[in-house]
Amino acid sequence: MEAFYSLASGLSVAIQPMNLLFALIGVLLGTAVGVLPGIGPALTVALLLPITFKLDPGGSIIMFAGIYYGGMYGGSTTAILINTPGESASMATALEGNKMAKAGRGGPALATAAIGSFVAGTIATLGLTFLAPYLVDIAVSFGPEDYFALMCVAFITVSATFGDSPVRGLTSLFIGLLLGLVGIDILSGQSRLSFGIPELYDNIEVTTLAVGLFAVGEALYVASRRHIEEEKLEPVRGSLWMTKEDWKRSWKPWIRGTLFGFPIGALPAGGAEIPTFLSYSTEKRLTKHPEEFGHGAIEGVAGPEAANNASAAGTLVPLLTLGLPTSATAAMMLAGFQQYGLNPGPLLFAERPDLVWGLIASLFIANGMLLVLNLPLVGLWVRLLAIPQPWLYAGILVFATIGTIAANPSPVELIMLTVFGVLGFLMRRFDFPIAPVVVGLILGPVAESQLRRALSISLGDPMVLLESPISATLLVIALIALILPFVMKGLGRFKAVED
Amino acid sequence: MSQLRKSLWRGALAAAAVAGFVTTAAAQTDLKIMAPAAPGGGWDQTARSMQQALTQAGIAKSVQVANVPGAGGSIGIAQLVNNSKGDGNQLMVMGYVMVGALLTNKSPITLDQTTPIARLTTEYEAIVVPADSPIKNAKDLAAAIKADPAKVTWAGGSAGGVDHIAAALFAKAAGADPTKINYIPFSGGGEALAAILGGKVTAGISGYGEFESQVKAGKLRLIGLTSATKTANVDVPSIKEQGIDLEIANWRAVVAPPGISADQKKALTDAVEKMVQSKEWQEILKAKGWENAYLSGDAFAKGLNDEIARTKDVLTAVGLVKS
Amino acid sequence: MTTSPQRRIDVAGLAIALILLALAGLVWWDMSKLQILSPYDLGPKVMPIVVSAGLILLAIGNGISALRGDLPTRESLDWTPIVLILGGLAILIALITLGWGFIIGTAILFAATSTAFGRRAFLVDLLIGAGLALFVYLLLGKLLTLSLPAGPLERLF
Repeated sequence: MEAFYSLASGLSVAIQPMNLLFALIGVLLGTAVGVLPGIGPALTVALLLPITFKLDPGGSIIMFAGIYYGGMYGGSTTAILINTPGESASMATALEGNKMAKAGRGGPALATAAIGSFVAGTIATLGLTFLAPYLVDIAVSFGPEDYFALMCVAFITVSATFGDSPVRGLTSLFIGLLLGLVGIDILSGQSRLSFGIPELYDNIEVTTLAVGLFAVGEALYVASRRHIEEEKLEPVRGSLWMTKEDWKRSWKPWIRGTLFGFPIGALPAGGAEIPTFLSYSTEKRLTKHPEEFGHGAIEGVAGPEAANNASAAGTLVPLLTLGLPTSATAAMMLAGFQQYGLNPGPLLFAERPDLVWGLIASLFIANGMLLVLNLPLVGLWVRLLAIPQPWLYAGILVFATIGTIAANPSPVELIMLTVFGVLGFLMRRFDFPIAPVVVGLILGPVAESQLRRALSISLGDPMVLLESPISATLLVIALIALILPFVMKGLGRFKAVED
Repeated sequence: MSQLRKSLWRGALAAAAVAGFVTTAAAQTDLKIMAPAAPGGGWDQTARSMQQALTQAGIAKSVQVANVPGAGGSIGIAQLVNNSKGDGNQLMVMGYVMVGALLTNKSPITLDQTTPIARLTTEYEAIVVPADSPIKNAKDLAAAIKADPAKVTWAGGSAGGVDHIAAALFAKAAGADPTKINYIPFSGGGEALAAILGGKVTAGISGYGEFESQVKAGKLRLIGLTSATKTANVDVPSIKEQGIDLEIANWRAVVAPPGISADQKKALTDAVEKMVQSKEWQEILKAKGWENAYLSGDAFAKGLNDEIARTKDVLTAVGLVKS
Repeated sequence: MTTSPQRRIDVAGLAIALILLALAGLVWWDMSKLQILSPYDLGPKVMPIVVSAGLILLAIGNGISALRGDLPTRESLDWTPIVLILGGLAILIALITLGWGFIIGTAILFAATSTAFGRRAFLVDLLIGAGLALFVYLLLGKLLTLSLPAGPLERLF
């Protein structure tokens, strides 16, 4: 109940005209930078910190929150329209979203992403308001062994992106795991597969890999096939807006995506990518239209997009309650708090309730603003696809390269982008699925380091994985997820025989 | 050692104060500062704060900050040494972490190749335990480590970084084998803090700023800071005062490229000196909670060399660097 | 997936299997140079061993499907656009390395790509690409003070 009053007073802070203006600047800026691959909200907040130094703390923190939410929106727009995920959490959105856009259903894809983000953002922010103190206790009790078990669950779900050949799917996954080895091993400080190239010490950037494989690889592939089959893009086929059927197919994935995104986002090492993949594979399993997956299924956009935004709100749980920054952007927001001498954590709620609740209230407002801003733009965005093909792909490559050098101004990073582009081209040509490579790069290093941490703490006793109730439960879920498809297939065959 | 440093520092400040009054000419320079890390980290914030103070105080006409992220600064220093030789308007922010990173990465470029300008700030390391831990003070922790170093798990930053070195030095001072410490590196500050709060590890070690709000909220118990004597912002005596001979600080400094002339070096040193005295810089220090540790000229260069030698010894002892 | 009536050995498929085998060897070789430093850590070698072993198994799997001709059929390949696009990227990388800034390189990449997609107006596209790059430079470099690779063109602004 108390939270209600606090939220109401927070709302009175957030709707002050100056703060509304800051929120608006934030969401606009966030959307703009979210569109460019490589430049995410974290970088933007970092660059703005010195400028906002003299501003009033409330206003600038509200602006940072707007940038954060806006960045999550912007990344999915490019993922859907030009297959260029603006940040790694938008990768799952690109899988189905871009297929929809190419089939002239870009409008509904963007709409379900925008509305799904709004729904998820709102529910998750409500969760932040009312559940944060309880959730954070669970989040902190997650140990390395539990993370490892969570990664096991995530690994199983990757198979949803494998396509029709398990051998080729696993090959893709292992290429991703191999890429995940590159760089300094965090636990021993030694470099692996770096060949003395200093740029490789720093691990392979997920966005560089994703943009190389998705955007550059696609451009090469489409160009190489022009003499056989001219790619025709229709900006709109059928309805520009979501049909009744689209709504029916979207609302459940929105909710489920939120349920994945918010709690996992609240985990200190949960991240935004894992819930998007969990959501994608869940929707693929539950859908009534399995044949559409891989060719543009709306559930595959609605779910991951909701998960991605809900996890952004989840990240704020440990940040505000404990002062734990669990994503790059949260770390920047923490720096933003600290430059005003404020330390997020249990004391901040007591010392500066106006600020904390003003921030939470402005999250609701930012979310609403994004919806109002983005929905009317859907019609405009899909017109992007009407740009003549040579300019469209030339523009995609320019965006991909500039985003890459803006994040890391080194020729080596661009060489990597090119190499990954060639890899993406070859994989398309030989029909290897692309997504598992990126998943391998994201999950591999986390799974490895968490397992090694767990075993270091237990002095090498593997039973620690089963002794922790969280870990044991997750491992059982992973096992079920692994076996279930086979059992179902068997049952299906059994039934078919009986009929 | 630290007493000597302190008096040197005082001397430097006095000299700087005099110099500051003499040279108040209008700013003509365009400076470039490289932060050898991604935007947002400590080095980046230092570089951008310098930019802010240098321009607002009118010491430099313009200051451009460039980020060269990667591998504890190894990529940044390589670029500084190879591409900016003799450039009298270029500075690079660096810190203690770079000393360890260059050693563990077996970098072909060393800090000897740069021109040291000045040390700016310092932060002490803090050792904490969960609030319900049976360990109450540094003596308890030392006894536990001596009894069985494997059972005392440490959560901290990257392998070979300042946290790792401090943990090894603590074990050594406690009379245990530093190669046997069970140190578990975490990637971000948040992740290590979560492991400590969740009681997954025995102790945590990092800059005090990371733990401050948790200590004040009573969720973590501060065992002590790695300063020589108790600092004003904490209630607990320093680890050294508790009888464990451990003293280490995570400092940040600026260096210039190799091959600059004596005049260029003096101009850069003067500019940094003026910045340190500026009202703007003092405000930033206060807002960010950074402790001033200004030290310039030969005193800083000598201190840097001593630090490199000591770090090499520790990392060799822990086994991260093969001599 | 096979459309040809007789199954033929797929040479490209065998090459993929060989590449995977080579990668497995590379990972193994790199792993053999690592040291175990902490007495409690599982060590940095375990994951490379897992990856290497997996790649060997997958090389065998891919090899078998190549021998059986299981790979999907592929259409003929037009190399010209690929060379154009990769050439544009290579020029961009070279220009940035040489300190010529990124606007010139980006303009060339834009024009090369649009040529690869069949447009025949190289000069116009060069200007469009330069305009696009300049816009981004002003937005990121000037407004957000991000450090982008600068050359003679960038310094004019």
